[in-house]
Amino acid sequence: MLGIDDPQIWLAYILCFVSAIGCIIYGALKWNDDSDDGEVN
Amino acid sequence: MGVSTPFLGMAVLAYMMVVFYLGWVGYKQTKDNDDYMLAGRKVNPFVLAFSYGAAFISTSAIIGFGGYAGAFGLGILWLAFMNIAVGIFIAFVIFGSRTRRMGVNLKAVTFPELIGRRFQSRFIQGFSGALITIFMPLYAGSVLIGGARFMETALNIDYNIAILILAVIVAAYVITGGLIAVMYTDALQGALMFVGMAVLLIITYSKLGGVTEAHQALTNMAYLVPDNFAAIGHTGWTTMPAFGSSTWWTLVSTIILGVGVGVLAQPQLAVRFMTVKNTRALKRAVLSGGPFIFMMAGVAYIVGALSNVYFFNTQGMISLEVAGGNIDKIMPEYINSAMPDYFVVFFLLTLLAAAMSTLSSQFHAMGTAFGHDFYRQGIMNGKIGKTITVTRVGIAVTIFISVVLAYILPPGIIARATAIFFGLCAAAFLPMYSGAIFWKRMTRQGAVASLIVGTFSSLFWLTFVHAKEATALGICQSLFGQATLLSGTWTFVDPILVATPLSFLVAIIVSLMTEPMAEEHVEMCFKKN
Repeated sequence: MLGIDDPQIWLAYILCFVSAIGCIIYGALKWNDDSDDGEVN
Repeated sequence: MGVSTPFLGMAVLAYMMVVFYLGWVGYKQTKDNDDYMLAGRKVNPFVLAFSYGAAFISTSAIIGFGGYAGAFGLGILWLAFMNIAVGIFIAFVIFGSRTRRMGVNLKAVTFPELIGRRFQSRFIQGFSGALITIFMPLYAGSVLIGGARFMETALNIDYNIAILILAVIVAAYVITGGLIAVMYTDALQGALMFVGMAVLLIITYSKLGGVTEAHQALTNMAYLVPDNFAAIGHTGWTTMPAFGSSTWWTLVSTIILGVGVGVLAQPQLAVRFMTVKNTRALKRAVLSGGPFIFMMAGVAYIVGALSNVYFFNTQGMISLEVAGGNIDKIMPEYINSAMPDYFVVFFLLTLLAAAMSTLSSQFHAMGTAFGHDFYRQGIMNGKIGKTITVTRVGIAVTIFISVVLAYILPPGIIARATAIFFGLCAAAFLPMYSGAIFWKRMTRQGAVASLIVGTFSSLFWLTFVHAKEATALGICQSLFGQATLLSGTWTFVDPILVATPLSFLVAIIVSLMTEPMAEEHVEMCFKKN
């Protein structure tokens, strides 16, 4: 894929894009969310 | 190279003027200790994201790890993924919001102070401060090397002079402006880095005929791997190293895990979570932080590896040969020969920005660790004494040590020196830091034990087992007459894989065996604000 034969490498390549885009989506969805995550009680 | 000196001089001058203006704005806004230490706890999310990213990614990542990709290939892209997923997402969303809240509850102004107050222990604060003061110069030294190597290649000036110039400029605005100046200049530098790296990626792919074509050409070059590299597991630039080989262990344990996980416990980064007003700002910062790190780390590694194709097409050599065997010179050589002149100038500014932003946050962290944590809390038992003078002296001394290290560290060291510091932070601080913010049952004794076990088991492994450092240090050789105490695969396994789990285990066992901390104090630490 993409001129790279080793799946361990193209997977990392794609995950870089996916995680960066994931951050954009998360930030946009939570733009006004002020709650803390992973609350312990 | 043919960049005209007046043009270059003007560009650098204009850039410096803006940086000093921002430093001055920071200085004017700094009215009290919270300002100097934490930028008044009301930083804008974009400033946070860019300054965090710019402080996180330095010449060490671009020149050092980019060069590593040039020598060993694209396997290091896993680190780019970790940088985004762990270094941004987990750090901001999971660690950031709790760190911020606890920082406010405990009125902590530095990372060691946050942990020290959570566990009501001056020892933790003083010891952590000392640890940062002693070992962060190793990281700062390697960032200096990265900046100086590029100035050496692009400007044709002496490497030793370049180191001095960089250190003096950064020291000037850190000492006067505190964290407001550091974060504003970092954010500007971050913006500059973003544009510079984007252009670098586009020009590289278009010069090599497109994305797939460029990768394919690199894949086809696997037969060119030098014999001595093939012998230690290098299989090509678009494949992972042979499983279990020393190259594989270095890549996976030292680089990907060491730096990828170690980032969570970096004092100069964690302190930034305490600078924002609320959790919302942290979540907003993820939006720009993720793509920013991608543009820095991802692009540096991709371009570093692809430089092999460019040099093979133009000079018939692989990058490492062009750089004379010094991996730290691969990126400077590539940018200098492959990019148009105007871009070399712009990229010089980008790198200057990258080096300065990281150095400034490191100098700030080292100075406060020494003056505030080690001297004031550790030695003076909280009395202010001569803290301000000591902090300034601390900054000056740690800068001096960083500069000395930059002179004496061997060539091709940037990526490793950075990884050593990140690994040490992971082992010493991560168990105690995660316990502090996630586990109410964690006790002072558990925290102290994990700090000590993490620190010393990590240092022990570096000195006596991990072959790369143990051999270079020679302590094991002179004490026991052999280069390392263990042999075989163990000598490739990075300290982080041994010391961090051990430190976590000790934290849990000791905490469960000791009396819980006073409920009132724990509730105060965790309360909402």
